[in-house]
Amino acid sequence: MLTAPVGLIRDLDPKRVMRAQVNGQDLVVWRASNGDISAWDNRCPHRGMALSHGFVRGNDLACLYHGWHYGGTGVCRYIPAHPELDPPKTIKATVFSVAIADGVIWVNTQGAAEPAPVPMASQPLRSFHVVSHSESLARACRTVAFEGAFPEQLEQGLYQLGARQVFLLENPLDQGRLQITALADADATPEGCAALSRWCEAVRRSAQEEKVAA
Amino acid sequence: MSRAYALNDWYAVADAQVLARGPRRTMLLDQEVTVSGTTDDLRVIDAEGSAYPAQFRYGHVWTSLGDAPRPLFDIPEADEPGRRLVPCGVVRVKCSPLRAVENFLDIAHFPFVHTGILGSEPHTEVAPYKAEIRDDVDEVWATKISFYQPQAAKSAEAGGDTQYLYRVAAPTTAVLYKTCPPKPEAMDVIAIFVQPRTETECDVWPWMALYDDVSAFAGLVQFQQEIFLQDRSILENQRPVKLPLDPKMEIPTRADLTSIAYRRWLKSKGAFYGALTEDA
Repeated sequence: MLTAPVGLIRDLDPKRVMRAQVNGQDLVVWRASNGDISAWDNRCPHRGMALSHGFVRGNDLACLYHGWHYGGTGVCRYIPAHPELDPPKTIKATVFSVAIADGVIWVNTQGAAEPAPVPMASQPLRSFHVVSHSESLARACRTVAFEGAFPEQLEQGLYQLGARQVFLLENPLDQGRLQITALADADATPEGCAALSRWCEAVRRSAQEEKVAA
Repeated sequence: MSRAYALNDWYAVADAQVLARGPRRTMLLDQEVTVSGTTDDLRVIDAEGSAYPAQFRYGHVWTSLGDAPRPLFDIPEADEPGRRLVPCGVVRVKCSPLRAVENFLDIAHFPFVHTGILGSEPHTEVAPYKAEIRDDVDEVWATKISFYQPQAAKSAEAGGDTQYLYRVAAPTTAVLYKTCPPKPEAMDVIAIFVQPRTETECDVWPWMALYDDVSAFAGLVQFQQEIFLQDRSILENQRPVKLPLDPKMEIPTRADLTSIAYRRWLKSKGAFYGALTEDA
């Protein structure tokens, strides 16, 4: 899977910056004041500082170290040490392809981002990290009861929980961790989503306990 | 890993306060060493019991692991009457010792990392200054530096332009001279003695020689420690961890003349411990 889910757009308000990882590539994912979302190599070309520690000014991402500004195309637009200087266009962050679908932020570090299809009418539920393997997580999903019944796995990542459905998108991280972006069926009420969110948390703990026991 | 050049430099491995508490087992250039004794009778040995030369200078214990140590650099201001000599303890940083020194030589980060103390927006401009490798003394010097600072020192009562001069006396030792707020005709001296534990981890021993009779010792140390802790949040988040000497890997600008000279100087000497070289 070259295009990977790195989180929910609703968790990334305008002017916010977060760190992500796709295929072992460390990323800064940030949102400009105008709502545009970018995903770059998490490294300022000047001194190698992690841009995920940076801050958004208008529609630019600024590095925490020396305040260099980079616009949405990754090109350096402003160097505070030399306010009059028009920075050379060669100073540029490494930019990756981003796509938004189903409220999910998708990134491809090797080509154009193509979101995976979601097999239901959905709404964003939550995003979380779990120290576990894919198989342990699936097992936890089937064995952690929801409202007194065990969920049924309909297909890869898709679970039926009574009248509700949950779709879990996996993004493998380093150190045996998974980033999970969870979607709920579109008909779930806020209360229904809250219950599904609690189930996700129980699944997360169960999957991690199994990992520890193993 | 190349320790060849680094072996014959001197490194701070303890200060008087640490020494007084008893033996310090530590790491230097990937090698375990233990420092013990008193300032008059020092002992530095490795895990096998082999002894290394040691001397007490600038408030710290210095040792060298090589067969032919170069002379320890001179900081003449240390012996000037009227100065307060202030060892500032130690800060452990997970970074290349060379990155720690390069950061110390950098003024352009002041408004962003030491906001409200050593710099503040919109006073971000770095005016032209001079940086050079001085072959006669084999040091890197940066001169004619001036920068606006809200609180240049513990003793500073208001913001103002501060004059700076930098001296890199050894690959892991840098000394800065800056305007002394209570004594405009003199300059305060602040140095960092970087103890390279490994190529990617160091203990930084800041040391100062100030004209400041007013501030309490603890306040002076706290001021300097706060600044170094702010630097640490940067230094532990740079990639690659080692300092790249290939100019293509990190793009400098005019404000980085000191860093450019420093990297060039390291390269010309073969001082590669903590550096990333093209063939690495």
